[in-house]
Amino acid sequence: MSTSAAETLEWLFHPASPDSGPNSGPGSGIDRKALAGLLVELARSVEPKYAQPAGVSPLDPRLEELRRLLVGHEIEVLRRLREVVEDPEQLGAAVGRVLPTAVASSDERLGDVLAPALEKATASSIRNDPRALVDILHPVIVPAIRKSVGETIDNTFQSLNESLRQSLSWRGLRWRFEAWRTGKPFAEVVLNHTLVYQVEHVFLIHSHTGLLISHVAAEDAASQDPQLVSSMLTAIQDFVKDSFQGAGQQGVDTLRLGDLRLWCEAGTFAMLVAVIRGNPPEELRGKLRDVLARIHEERRHTLETFDGDSSGLPDIEAHLAQCAALRQEGKRAIRAGFPWYVFLLAALIVGIAGGAGLWRWDLAQKAAQEQARIAEEQARIRAAEAERRAAELRRWSDYVDQLRAQPGIVVTESAERDGKFVVGGLRDPLAADPMAILRQSGIDPARVTSRWQPYQALEPAFVLQRLEASLAPPPSVKLSISGDHIVAQGSATPVWLGRARRAARAMPAGGPQLDISRVEDIAEGLLGKLRDSIQAHEIRFNTNESLPAPGQDEELDQLAAGINELTGLAASLHMMARIRLTGHSDDTGPGTYNLSLSIARAGAVLALLKKRGVAADLITIGGAGQLDPLNLGNTDNARSMNRRVSVAVRLEEEP
Amino acid sequence: MTATVQKKICMVGGFSVGKTSLVKRYVESVFSETYLTTVGVKIDKKTVTMGDKAVHLILWDLAGEDDMSSLRLSYMRGSAGYVLVADGTRPATLETALALRKRVEADYGPLPFALLINKNDLSDQWAVSDDDIEGLRRDGWWVRSSSARTGEGVEDAFTDLASRVVR
Repeated sequence: MSTSAAETLEWLFHPASPDSGPNSGPGSGIDRKALAGLLVELARSVEPKYAQPAGVSPLDPRLEELRRLLVGHEIEVLRRLREVVEDPEQLGAAVGRVLPTAVASSDERLGDVLAPALEKATASSIRNDPRALVDILHPVIVPAIRKSVGETIDNTFQSLNESLRQSLSWRGLRWRFEAWRTGKPFAEVVLNHTLVYQVEHVFLIHSHTGLLISHVAAEDAASQDPQLVSSMLTAIQDFVKDSFQGAGQQGVDTLRLGDLRLWCEAGTFAMLVAVIRGNPPEELRGKLRDVLARIHEERRHTLETFDGDSSGLPDIEAHLAQCAALRQEGKRAIRAGFPWYVFLLAALIVGIAGGAGLWRWDLAQKAAQEQARIAEEQARIRAAEAERRAAELRRWSDYVDQLRAQPGIVVTESAERDGKFVVGGLRDPLAADPMAILRQSGIDPARVTSRWQPYQALEPAFVLQRLEASLAPPPSVKLSISGDHIVAQGSATPVWLGRARRAARAMPAGGPQLDISRVEDIAEGLLGKLRDSIQAHEIRFNTNESLPAPGQDEELDQLAAGINELTGLAASLHMMARIRLTGHSDDTGPGTYNLSLSIARAGAVLALLKKRGVAADLITIGGAGQLDPLNLGNTDNARSMNRRVSVAVRLEEEP
Repeated sequence: MTATVQKKICMVGGFSVGKTSLVKRYVESVFSETYLTTVGVKIDKKTVTMGDKAVHLILWDLAGEDDMSSLRLSYMRGSAGYVLVADGTRPATLETALALRKRVEADYGPLPFALLINKNDLSDQWAVSDDDIEGLRRDGWWVRSSSARTGEGVEDAFTDLASRVVR
């Protein structure tokens, strides 16, 4: 049937095949001879004489003939087409014939249209009979699974090998130690050390101009012109800073593209950019920062004034080269090999099992020797310990003896309790520090407990020290030890003498006594005499005059000489003489006038004394007006005595 | 060994005055022109020999803008000099160039620069008078008319600028 359908189609699409019939002309399929005959006949019919009133009859068979002649071939084609379309078998064959060409020449829309249908069909097929699909996929999927399982096992072996390598190798042990020391998990330490990276390029870029200061590349690393790259990196930094306000002045510190990272470290004058392939650990950033800081430190001026001339900077290049050399080899190189460590472990286990017997025998031998050695060692240790202990006790007793010898320290207790030394007693706060002596003794201070009660020692040296502190003798007085007495010598004010006398009386009985009999009261000595003679001077004035009366010059000369002598003598005795000049007036005239007159008189005398070389800084002046007369009489003589300037001297200890 | 020195030079001008094509044939370039529209700048290098010294002019080609205020003049930081470019067929671009010079001077002080008035091959559309150019020259400006097609003026501008920025 299918053969006949195919033939039908052949005829259908190639109707002008040579065997289609002798009547058909080339390319037309019309019986031209019959058509000509028919047309002659029609022409005759058109002749009026042949014309019939009713024209041509619709039943005239010639019409049918004409139709057959004109479109007979097409009718046949349509008939056969209809046959093909109506017969599913023939139609299927026809579509099947053109479908591959149609699919091949269609655009992707066909795929889009077919996909859902195909998915549905596949799903339904698998639901109906999964085996069919399994059978189809079997040749593909089994090798794939086998390969995958193989790789997994291989990886497991390699990873076991790697773990063993890490654990058994010197490096592994070191990492374990590092993990233990830093408190980080071991895995993190391993990760840090096995992160694979390589610094490929290091650029040092001048921040202000973006010009390249120096560039170092690792071996076999390629890049574009470093000068252009460095400027472009600067431009990108600027771009980010300008575009995103939040970025502040920080700029970009990391750029990442696939396996490549750019780490930028900005310094004051220059930016360090490292191009790193792989996974660098964070510590690397610290290293870059260090290098940048070092360059800034060493070549600060060069960086600051950089103007595009990068010759003569080999040291900077050396610093960068240090960065470019940074890398961490991966474990990739090792992964590919034979799992040696698994093999080694197995060999090791066998070896241990075999060696165990031999080892046990050897062990017994060694144990006997070891015991003897230990006994010997113990004896040696005991002897050393006894010696050490004896030395320690010797040092302790030396220390206690030294304490006993110290004035102001009374040792009442010294013992050894529970491995600690105890010492205690009385100690004058002015005595030597027992801790300072202990530190020099060679004994561990932590092993010593000290208990000291304070007390006052009666040794003359301590008594002297305490008196120095409590009496505060003036520079003109010296305290010293004489036999079992403390003797004070020199001269002092009556006030100090009073204080010293009270202290002498309060000295504890049985201890050294204070002897102040050799201290001169300055009020009674030469100084006292001089004072009295100065105070005896008086300068006289005429009525209502503020300048001394004529004939007072000699008096003034003597007064000046006396004051100068007193000042000099007082200074040599560490004393100070304060002098007060007081002006007076008689009782004539108003009191306020007399008061100012008396002040003026004192001022005049001060000026006249100054003129005679008297230092004025210890002299004060005052006026008493008429309130302090020498003579209460109202005679001229009495009034004349009252018009005067009097002098008062006060002796003080030097401050 | 010849000494080398680098100098940063900016190329500035209004929109579409032909800066980029003007230098295209005369510079070493590794970055694509899309940088101009994305980052707003493209870096090229022009090496000029001066005696025994090789001067690498690092050219920052700044994206031209009609709206002058949006030009990223911050890229000018650290420039040793700059090239102003105007379009001789559009007198407005010359105005833009003069205004740009003022802005640069205000922000970065007086820097050496060269003014190229471009597209002199389009003589029938030329719209800048010789008097204007002479006027600028009298003010001490270095001015040339230039053409991307013939390359006229370009080498001169770089050689002259290099001699002024390297001391």
